[in-house]
Amino acid sequence: MRQVSLSIDGLRQAQNKLPNDALTVMRKAALANLDEHGLPTVRDEDWKYTDLDSAIDISNRWLAAGAASATSDSLAESIQSIVDSVVANWLVIANGEIDVTHFAATNGIEIERYSESAAPFSMDRPLADLNAALLHDGLRVQITAATEQPLGILIIDEANAGAAVSQASVKIEVAPGCDAEIVEYQSSAGDDDHYGNSVIALQVGQAATANYVRIQDRRIGHVQTGRLSVSMGKNSQLKMVSYDIGGGLIRNDLDVELGEPGSAATFDGLYLAGDGQHIDNHTRVDHRVGPALSSEEYRGILNGRCRAIWNGKAVVHEGADGTDASQENHNLLLSEHAEIDAKPELEIYADDVKCSHGTTVGQLDETALYYLCTRGLDKRVATQVLTHAFAADLVRRAPVAAAVDAITSLVESRLADLIGEAAS
Amino acid sequence: MLEINDLKSRIGDSEILRGLSLSVNAGEVHAIMGPNGSGKSTLAQVIAGNDDYVVTGGEVKYKGEDLLGLEPEERAREGIFLGFQYPVEIPGVNNAYLLKAAVNARRRHQGLGEIDAFEFLKLAREKMATLGMDPKFLNRGVNEGFSGGEKKRNEILQMAMLEPSLAILDETDSGLDIDALKAVAQGVNTLRSPDRAIILITHYQRLLDYIEPDFVHVLSKGRIIRSGDKALALELEDKGYDWVREAVGT
Repeated sequence: MRQVSLSIDGLRQAQNKLPNDALTVMRKAALANLDEHGLPTVRDEDWKYTDLDSAIDISNRWLAAGAASATSDSLAESIQSIVDSVVANWLVIANGEIDVTHFAATNGIEIERYSESAAPFSMDRPLADLNAALLHDGLRVQITAATEQPLGILIIDEANAGAAVSQASVKIEVAPGCDAEIVEYQSSAGDDDHYGNSVIALQVGQAATANYVRIQDRRIGHVQTGRLSVSMGKNSQLKMVSYDIGGGLIRNDLDVELGEPGSAATFDGLYLAGDGQHIDNHTRVDHRVGPALSSEEYRGILNGRCRAIWNGKAVVHEGADGTDASQENHNLLLSEHAEIDAKPELEIYADDVKCSHGTTVGQLDETALYYLCTRGLDKRVATQVLTHAFAADLVRRAPVAAAVDAITSLVESRLADLIGEAAS
Repeated sequence: MLEINDLKSRIGDSEILRGLSLSVNAGEVHAIMGPNGSGKSTLAQVIAGNDDYVVTGGEVKYKGEDLLGLEPEERAREGIFLGFQYPVEIPGVNNAYLLKAAVNARRRHQGLGEIDAFEFLKLAREKMATLGMDPKFLNRGVNEGFSGGEKKRNEILQMAMLEPSLAILDETDSGLDIDALKAVAQGVNTLRSPDRAIILITHYQRLLDYIEPDFVHVLSKGRIIRSGDKALALELEDKGYDWVREAVGT
């Protein structure tokens, strides 16, 4: 049993402070589910490396103090600085509240709040229940035509008035035949503890393309759990790259459902971890029919006392012949105190499939290091150059051009903290 | 420039160089020929400082000083350049970045200021033009996706930019078509100068049609078994390596 458990009474009181609106029934149902099942513990196979105790502790302190939304005077400034760093049409969820002031109404993107629409929120798992139980409001976004600027979803939290918790929920639908660019950016700041929990659903319509960038740059020490569930239509495409730059305890779940033939999903990721960070990426792809393709490559650079987890699961269901699934995970461990748990999982129930997986954990390529040294570079500089290059490969795969500069700068500056700057 | 006396070296458990001696003066071009496994590449790697190769005996002096105590980067800054037989692909490291970093490492060591970006690009483009290289290679990853010929040209480009005192080209001619071979040879010939020494390591005589060596050495089982002028290379081409081995009784 865990040391602490989430205060259901506290959650009930917090819920009673929310307005009585179209979401009330769902919130109550979600809380009942949560009360029955509880949050996952390290005894659950999917959670054996990531203990939610710190999320529960922050939640209980926040609930005991009255469960007010986090506040911070510098929030507006922080939002502006991120919004300025990536040219996009931004929908903001700040400390759990929807803010559409950075969004310009445009042909091709329609938005609706859950409270105004019939969009149900997901309640199939404990963290989704927690999200639904405390959700102020969510956003449903329909992309019906290609737009000049990508859609930006900024989830930002600043806790400067005691420990705080916030929820974000977004459902994005890309219409059939449509090309969409989406940037999800999660960030946090503030002196106090914070726990953010997000639920995002992405539905890619028939013959549609979604280019999706996910950036996580929370404050070191802050907690984030988030699930992105993607469902792919016939002949649709997903190109996604995730970047985990900051955060204390981070758990990202990515689910990709390939339920129609002809779809192709590529999802790559880069995580950078230093002292005090714990970054857990769990991905799961379900091949339900063939032919369909899934391909993922996550890379990690770890230095200092930290831990990262990569768990990539591919399930090829009965009848999903013509499946092509590949998974790769490569890690650079630059410190003896860094730990990586890498686990590819393949479950195959079909005959005609092509599946591959590979993981590596190690140091830099000695041959490349030597080559650079024979050109006069210091071993220290050569090490930095190769480490940057290991990350740069993922940076240049970013499928949304408008986000590349911001990603480059975030990755470069975090790497400079972790290993020192690459001299020119 | 380079004095090698009774050099012995092994990689893992196998003894490769077994008492090799060689003297190279400034202004000279030496060709080292020999069958596969004779120790040609080992010699190149030992001079460049690859620590996979353990020196078990003998000495190497460069410009009168002990070379073997120096790290590979120190040797490079002192003016030693090794053109690799198999240039390493380094995705994510920009070719221009490496060239500039290499040039600046050498310049700083020589007490010169760093090259400015404009001057660097101008120089690089000039050198590339003479090697028949498209300037777009500057912005590619180091050797990433380059063909065999492009990789070798890239090595010669690095050499041309670094202007080394001692250049060792390890089978730079292997896998090159005739156009690439001519371009590489021209790049090397341009660098011939009274204060520079060049060692060409090659399996075939073909390269020596385009770069005329002052001396030709035949390496077998880790030792130089015969030295001569360019006529030796032609004779080798004609009669094969077995001829020398038989002639010297090894």
